Amino acid sequence: MGNGYKMAVLIKQVPDTSSAAGVNPDGTVDRARAKRMINPFDKFALQKAIETRAAHGGEINVISMGPPPALEVLVEALEYGADYGYLLSDRRLAASDTLATAFALYKAITYLKDVDIVFTGLQTTDGDTAQTGPQIAERLDVAQITYCETMEIVNGRIQASRIIDGGIQKLETAPPALITIANSASRLEHKKFANVHMVKKLSRDKAEMERRIKTITLDDIGAEPERVGLLGSPTVVGKTWKLGEKGGSCQLFKGDKPSHEVELLVGAIKSDGKGVEEFVA
Amino acid sequence: MSDRIEYDVTLVGAGPANMALAYRLVQLTDRPIRIAVLEKAKEIGGHLLSGAVSNPRVIEKLFPMWKSDGFPHKGICSESYVSILGPRRWENVPSLLTPPYFKKEGYAILNISDMCAYIAAKITAEAAQKDGVVVDFYPGFPAQRIVFDGDRVAGVKVDDTGDENADTLYSKVTVFGDKGFVSRDLIAKYNLRKNPQVWSVGVKEVWETPQSHEGKVWHTMGYPMAPGHLGGGFVYGQTNNQLVIGMVMGLDFVNPNLRPPQILQDLKKHPFIQEMLRGAKLVKYGASVLPEGGFYSLPEKFAVDGAMLVGDALGTLDVKRFSGVDKAMESGYQAAETIWEAHKKEDFSASGLASYQARIMNGWVGKELSDSRYFRKAFNDHPKLLDIFIPRLAAAVDSGKSVVYAGIQAGMADPFGSLGLLSARKKIENPSDIGPAVYKEDRTHIGKDYADNRKISEGYAENTIYTTADVVFYAHTHYGEENRHIEEFDAAVCKECIATFDASKKDTPCVGDCTAEVHQTLEKDGTRIHAMALENCVQCTTCEIVCPRTNIRVRAALRGYGPDFSGM
Ligand SMILES: Cc1cc2nc3c(=O)[nH]c(=O)nc-3n(C[C@H](O)[C@H](O)[C@H](O)COP(=O)(O)OP(=O)(O)OC[C@H]3O[C@@H](n4cnc5c(N)ncnc54)[C@H](O)[C@@H]3O)c2cc1C
Ligand SMILES: Cc1cc2nc3c(=O)[nH]c(=O)nc-3n(C[C@H](O)[C@H](O)[C@H](O)COP(=O)(O)OP(=O)(O)OC[C@H]3O[C@@H](n4cnc5c(N)ncnc54)[C@H](O)[C@@H]3O)c2cc1C
Ligand code: SF4
Ligand code: SF4
Repeated sequence: MGNGYKMAVLIKQVPDTSSAAGVNPDGTVDRARAKRMINPFDKFALQKAIETRAAHGGEINVISMGPPPALEVLVEALEYGADYGYLLSDRRLAASDTLATAFALYKAITYLKDVDIVFTGLQTTDGDTAQTGPQIAERLDVAQITYCETMEIVNGRIQASRIIDGGIQKLETAPPALITIANSASRLEHKKFANVHMVKKLSRDKAEMERRIKTITLDDIGAEPERVGLLGSPTVVGKTWKLGEKGGSCQLFKGDKPSHEVELLVGAIKSDGKGVEEFVA
Repeated sequence: MSDRIEYDVTLVGAGPANMALAYRLVQLTDRPIRIAVLEKAKEIGGHLLSGAVSNPRVIEKLFPMWKSDGFPHKGICSESYVSILGPRRWENVPSLLTPPYFKKEGYAILNISDMCAYIAAKITAEAAQKDGVVVDFYPGFPAQRIVFDGDRVAGVKVDDTGDENADTLYSKVTVFGDKGFVSRDLIAKYNLRKNPQVWSVGVKEVWETPQSHEGKVWHTMGYPMAPGHLGGGFVYGQTNNQLVIGMVMGLDFVNPNLRPPQILQDLKKHPFIQEMLRGAKLVKYGASVLPEGGFYSLPEKFAVDGAMLVGDALGTLDVKRFSGVDKAMESGYQAAETIWEAHKKEDFSASGLASYQARIMNGWVGKELSDSRYFRKAFNDHPKLLDIFIPRLAAAVDSGKSVVYAGIQAGMADPFGSLGLLSARKKIENPSDIGPAVYKEDRTHIGKDYADNRKISEGYAENTIYTTADVVFYAHTHYGEENRHIEEFDAAVCKECIATFDASKKDTPCVGDCTAEVHQTLEKDGTRIHAMALENCVQCTTCEIVCPRTNIRVRAALRGYGPDFSGM
């Protein structure tokens, strides 16, 4: 491979789970108010692409499907070292289920042309189905390696280790392929100063920014509107339940010495008629 | 190799000094200028901690409408007291007897973490209005070391990719507002500080209380400091029912095991504070150091070829007035004026930047620092002040005397001592020239045999007191497993040090003075060694300051690792 590999990394923007902002009292997410972040699983996918480029050269294209704020994850991906970003954004995509999402992303990948390797995360922290990657592979009609932990490319063939129940399975295939990366794979490297600097310059250079990050629509990728969004989503959400909250009474014992705190704890266990069970249970 | 990364101005550290600088410079400029701001915290303000009650004189210059336009102050001081504490009683010094510089009415109550995040946003907004004016913030990217080009500062190293151009941030001028983290190397290289800096450490908690104490400010002396040790408390009532409780204590005294977090816990045990903390909730804990040498610790030059020092890195803090924020900001303000002139003349050499020093020393910062120049020396020259007078005063107050009566009694008890007191007082209040103060460089004078016989308040509520290990949890530190930001130079030296302190049943100073339970000594293969739980570290640098053998160095942690001081 003279010019290395053309790679696509699929990254979803998800609500920031570490922030309480935008979580409704009933536990559902108000996406407009919530803080947003890169789906943490997708960082492992991006890292694999970065490692592959470092070893063999090539170009990293990040694709995200979502409303306009998802542009943030593309900019961040460039700070991490990706080469190009594509935001697939179209009102007609709203309410897509995994079938529709996978179809739209498949179309976006074919729009990029000649992609050798597609990397996806294992699952997302909001949708959590882990279906998108495999569905795209089926539509692309390429080999798929799921739960991949490590991989290298030797003589043009991908040699991968994937996690299976009770062990590791080794697989080999030739590109093109789609690989979903396990979250036990190597962690995403910290941003390089030079990349962060480059992205700051991009933000002041409209033409260059448009060359590096493109927003594309259903018309660009040639996806039929009736196969995406609400129309293209056979999933029916019947009802959602809140399964209740874990928790219980938690009592903290404070004192100015640890030994004192232990005394207080032991005292409480002894004096409180309910005995030890309450603390052990 | 990639292209060189170049800016006109690089600011190291997004503290009050450099934020005032950047804001002023953007105000001044009418031509293109490119400014980079490096900050070791992962967000601007994330590693900033102060009191703080501050004269708003620089804030007023920069943000004339600061009281009403959303500037994030935490209230305006309406009542301020100097209080004398014994373990049981708390007496405020009558207003008439309170030195004018300790009256804080009308001053701004600030948390500089929120303040600097706010100013950073304002800088970005102002810069966007001006063609060719660029201010790029790089939180999470500390300056790791200074890059020289001959004797000129060419920039700072910011990354470790191995490609020199990608790893270096080059600038025409680099301004260090980093409280010494890397700028101490500059000071050492040019031997700029002939008289060493004197350090204190401050520990602080923010509480949410059922009642509001907004606008009230107390500065305390006496309890819970040990006799002979300079230190005092601060208690500030903020907006939103927040109460700030802190202790500042000198690191140049004889006790090798100061245990700052414990002293803060002891202050909280005082009945007066207990009353305010009833039903309250701890929000955050943190610590940071203060450069207290003042006038005589200022470097000989404030600028060299391609570099300047501002704020605490320079040493503008005035401990007599407890004024650091305003002086740091003024130094940034004056540095901006200087840089603007230098930018127009394209001359960032030492001589092009030389007017900075005169601007500081001829202005109010220089005048007030000169007026405070013997404050620290007074305590060094007159040990009876801390050994005898303040403890007696506190004891008399504790036994029910009024402050005035207690003061007379404490003074009269030792007529010869009180002559010394008058002379100490003169050094503090109204100094005539008695030559420069000379500070000690190291900690070799600390006492292995020091005995702490402090009396601690009784009857406190357990749930407002935390074991020191618990408090650390409230600093919300985060580090990656690869982090190694404190360097121990020679393990053998630590072993000797441990043996010395073990022999007198003391902890080593790094263990005894750490503000976040990082250092420990433990047994390994039959010898006692020094170890660190770096994941707790709040990056206050106390351990480095107190290490009697200069055997560790605290570096700026990479990747934004460290505490979360937002709101401090
Ligand atoms: C029963 C059900 C009903 C749903 N109904 C709705 C609905 O009405 N409206 C609605 O908006 N959503 C709905 N969703 C969510 C939506 O289907 C999923 O968020 C979406 O299909 C992606 O699936 P996932 O989040 O499970 O991703 P996974 O399959 O868990 O993700 C695997 C990988 O695919 C890639 N990927 C996934 N999504 C994207 C993306 N958008 N951009 C780029 N890469 C991506 C990432 O690499 C990710 O790591 C529903 C989901 C389910 C299970
Ligand atoms: C407990 C305490 C209470 C105080 N109370 C008061 C008070 O009531 N009133 C008052 O006026 N003053 C008070 N002060 C003093 C005041 O806070 C300081 O004088 C002031 O903050 C100094 O500002 P600065 O900008 O020089 O530095 P700092 O505020 O120390 O800011 C330095 C910044 O540089 C960053 N930095 C450090 N090294 C690097 C690096 N290598 N690369 C990138 N970034 C780096 C730090 O993370 C930080 O953000 C108090 C100080 C303390 C510790
Ligand atoms: S770091 Fe310094 S104080 Fe701590 S054990 Fe080593 S030599 Fe002693
Ligand atoms: S290890 Fe040093 S720098 Fe870190 S918290 Fe302790 S004293 Fe401060």
